[in-house]
Amino acid sequence: MADAIQKKLKAELEKYSQLQKDVSKSMSSRQKLETQLTENNIVKEELDLLDSSNTIYKLIGPVLVKQDLDEAKATVGKRLEYITGELQRYETLLKDMEKKSEQHREVLTSLQQDFQKAQGLAKGK
Amino acid sequence: MAVNLTDLSLPQLEGLKTQLDQEIEFLTSSISQLKVAQSKFVEAKDSLNVLNQNNKGKEILVPLTSSMYVPGTLNDVDHVLVDVGTGYYVEKNVEDSKAFFKRKIDFLTKQIEKIQPPLQEKHAMKQAVIEVMSLKIQQLQQSQQASQMAGTTKA
Repeated sequence: MADAIQKKLKAELEKYSQLQKDVSKSMSSRQKLETQLTENNIVKEELDLLDSSNTIYKLIGPVLVKQDLDEAKATVGKRLEYITGELQRYETLLKDMEKKSEQHREVLTSLQQDFQKAQGLAKGK
Repeated sequence: MAVNLTDLSLPQLEGLKTQLDQEIEFLTSSISQLKVAQSKFVEAKDSLNVLNQNNKGKEILVPLTSSMYVPGTLNDVDHVLVDVGTGYYVEKNVEDSKAFFKRKIDFLTKQIEKIQPPLQEKHAMKQAVIEVMSLKIQQLQQSQQASQMAGTTKA
């Protein structure tokens, strides 16, 4: 009886720690996205201050390539859109995982109690 | 967060102190990173002062590497190329570039000012935790001594 529960407990614990790993992975991805968001926002602000008298270059590899102001604005805008979308996706993903780990925790505590009970019974015999 | 520090046990206090230490370290390193970035902008802004009409056409030494220079003439004193981030470079005139650097410096100053209050708060909290900890340790030692005394008198 106790052995069976212990096996279950072990499996559940493994699942839980795997979930925890996924959570921290998603957290760091989200953090990276947030950094990119701030960076791109700063660039957007700068580009908004420019007019047609300014020439814009984009660094591609080691080469500076001349680019249109509107084109650059569009690129940064698209990037911002993409990043906010990704951020929202991670937000829901993290919420989901939070819920799941909550459930796992509950299962774990009840399993632990069962295990202790079963151990007590075994000793009682 | 109205937890009374005196209600916590020594290990709990120890844990709290480590946590505060980590937070303080993080904030301090953030501030120093911001300061490094800021000083780079200040330096860049200062070096723009060299680009004026008086210096036009003068000969300069252009660094090809950190140890090799080639002679050149300062031809254009009105325009510079500024890195605005994420791979974009913008050609600006000197005045606009100065304004750009001023914006960056002001932005960083604001960020540093934002971090300072929480850092001080954490420092104060850590101080309080340390005080409570030493108080607890003293109490513990006293009670130990008292119980030892009681033990010897009984024996």
